[in-house]
Amino acid sequence: LMNWHPSPGATLNSQILAEACGCAESLGGAKDGRWKTSIYFYRSMAREAAAGQQGQQGRELLGVALHERPGLYFSIIRNNRLVLQADAAFPQVMEKLQSYKARVALNFEGFQYQLGDFCLRIGKCVPNNSETLRGIMMEVEYYPLSSIEKSRAIMEDFFDIWQETVAKKSLPGHFIHVDSNFSEYGLSDQYSFQHTAVQYATCLQQLLTVARVQS
Amino acid sequence: MMQQSQAQAAALAVAPSVSAVAPTMSHPNDPAGGDAPPKQVAQAMERLGRAGRLIADIRLGADRLLEALFVAGCAPPYSAPQHIDRTSRAVVQEEAAMRRHFQDLRALGRLLMILSLPHAVFRLALKAFTDQKRRFFPHLEDEVLGQIQDGEPGVTKKPRLSANGELEEASLSEILKNLGNEVPNMKIFTYRHLDWSKRASSLASLMDDDFVDPSKELNLQNMGNSRSSALTTSIDQVAVIEFLVPSIFRAIVSLHPAGSTDPDAVAFFSPTEGGSYLHARGMSMHHVFKHVKVSVHFLLLKTFIVLQRWIASYQTLFTKVCSKCGRRLMMDKSLALLLPPVHRPYHQTSNVGPDLQEAYHIGCSSYDI
Repeated sequence: LMNWHPSPGATLNSQILAEACGCAESLGGAKDGRWKTSIYFYRSMAREAAAGQQGQQGRELLGVALHERPGLYFSIIRNNRLVLQADAAFPQVMEKLQSYKARVALNFEGFQYQLGDFCLRIGKCVPNNSETLRGIMMEVEYYPLSSIEKSRAIMEDFFDIWQETVAKKSLPGHFIHVDSNFSEYGLSDQYSFQHTAVQYATCLQQLLTVARVQS
Repeated sequence: MMQQSQAQAAALAVAPSVSAVAPTMSHPNDPAGGDAPPKQVAQAMERLGRAGRLIADIRLGADRLLEALFVAGCAPPYSAPQHIDRTSRAVVQEEAAMRRHFQDLRALGRLLMILSLPHAVFRLALKAFTDQKRRFFPHLEDEVLGQIQDGEPGVTKKPRLSANGELEEASLSEILKNLGNEVPNMKIFTYRHLDWSKRASSLASLMDDDFVDPSKELNLQNMGNSRSSALTTSIDQVAVIEFLVPSIFRAIVSLHPAGSTDPDAVAFFSPTEGGSYLHARGMSMHHVFKHVKVSVHFLLLKTFIVLQRWIASYQTLFTKVCSKCGRRLMMDKSLALLLPPVHRPYHQTSNVGPDLQEAYHIGCSSYDI
C-alpha cells in the first residue's frame, strides 16, 4: 500500500487522483472497474467500574471490510497488535453484545487497473457521509507470488518505476510506502487478506498523521 | 519372384511414409519447423530419403534371409548339407550387409538430430522406422534399439549426445538423485500420468481457500514426497516430473516415453496455481511464467541433466538483474508488460553455477533458447 504524501503546504485534490490514474494507464494498465474498502472506527464500551479509578479510555478497534473479500470482516486492535479474520456478520455480533460501538466509517474507493501480472487500486479516502477528501492512496498486488520476502525485490522495483512515472507529472507531492510490521501481528511470510487489512490500518494511521500535520 | 515383388512393394510402402513427412519441412519459415534455413531443410530431406532407401535395403536383406532359410527348410533331406552351407554363407553375408545398413542409419539419425527438425516430424520419422524394424527384426531389438530411441517401457538407459558431443549414459533415477543434491532448494517429485492429474486437481482445491495457511505448502510437499517414494520402485512408469522451488515456481516436465530421460515438454507455473491446466503443455495464468519458454531445439538436443540445471537456474527469476541492462523489473515495449529477466540461455560449457548463469529481459536477449 502506498500513501500520497503531499508536499508541505500543498492541498489534496482530486486532480492528483486523476493524474495517478493517468500514470497507471501510461504503463499499459487496463481499467478494470471500481473498488471500495471500508474501515470502521469502534470505541469499546467497557468501563472500569472500580471506585476511585478514572473511566478508562475504551480500546479502539478498527473494522476492515476488504473489497476483494466481501464475505469476510477483519478486526484490528492496533495497540495490542491483534488482527482477527471473521465472517462478514461479525459487526452484528459486536452490536448485539454492545461491547464495541461504531463511530466513524471511512471509505477507500476508486478505480482498479490491471497491468500484466500487477493489479493497481488507486483511490481516495473519504468519510462515509461526506465528500471531503481525506487522502489519496493506492494498493499494488503482484499475482504470481505470495511470499513477502521473495517478492520484495520486484515490489521495490515496481515502486521505483511508479515513482519515475508519477514524477514526470510534477505533482505537489509523492507516494510513500510505510512498512507494516507483520510479525508483530503474528502474521507469517505467506501473504494473506489479514496482511492487507493490517496494511490498511497502517495506511489510515499514516493518512491521519499527515492530515494532523497539515492542519 | 513373389517375394521379390513383395519386397519391392514393401519398399515403396516405406518410402511414402518418409516422403509424407518431407512436405511439412518444405516451409522453412514455419515456426513449428524450428529455425532450419532452406539449405539445411534440403539436406534433411535428402538424408531422410537416404534413410528411406536404407530401410528398404534392410527389408530386402531380411527377405533374402527369409528366402534362404525357407529354401533350406523345404529342401529334401539328402541335399541338407549343401543347403546348410549355402544358407549359412548367405546369412553371414546378409548379416554383414544389414549391420552396415544399420550403422549408416544410426549415423544418419544423429545427423538429422543435429538439424533443427520439428520435434513432431522427427518423432514421426523415428517412430515409422522403429515400428518397421520391430515388426521384422524383433530379435535385434536388444542390441540395436537400445541405442536408438525405444518406444517400449522398461528401458531406462539412454545414451545421448551431450552438448559437448560426448555420449552420456545415465538412468533417470541416477540423474534425479544427483540433481537433488546439487540444488537443495528445489524439490523433485515424480508421477505417472494419472497420478499427476490427481495432484494438479488437488492443488486447485487447496489453494482455493480464504484461509491461506503457511503450513499448507508444507503439506503439499509432504504429499508429494510420500507419492514419489511409493513410485521409486516403478521408475519405468514415470511420465511427469515436478520441480518445485517453494514460493518461486513449479516446473512440470513430461517424459516421452515414460521412464526415459527424454523430455517432451516443460512449462512453468506459480506455486499457487492448481487445476487441470497444470501440465507440461499447459500455460500459466501469469505473464511472467508464460514467457519462460523453451524451444523444441533445446528439448531435443540438450541432455536431461542440462534441462534440469536450466530449470534450477530460474530460482533467481524474481531477484536476479538483467546481465545486459542491469535492471530487474522492466517494461517490455512490444508486450506492454512489466517483466523481470525471463530468458536464461544455456551455454555449451556445463557446470555453470546458478549464480553465474546469465539472465536477460526478453528485449535484451540476443539468444534464442
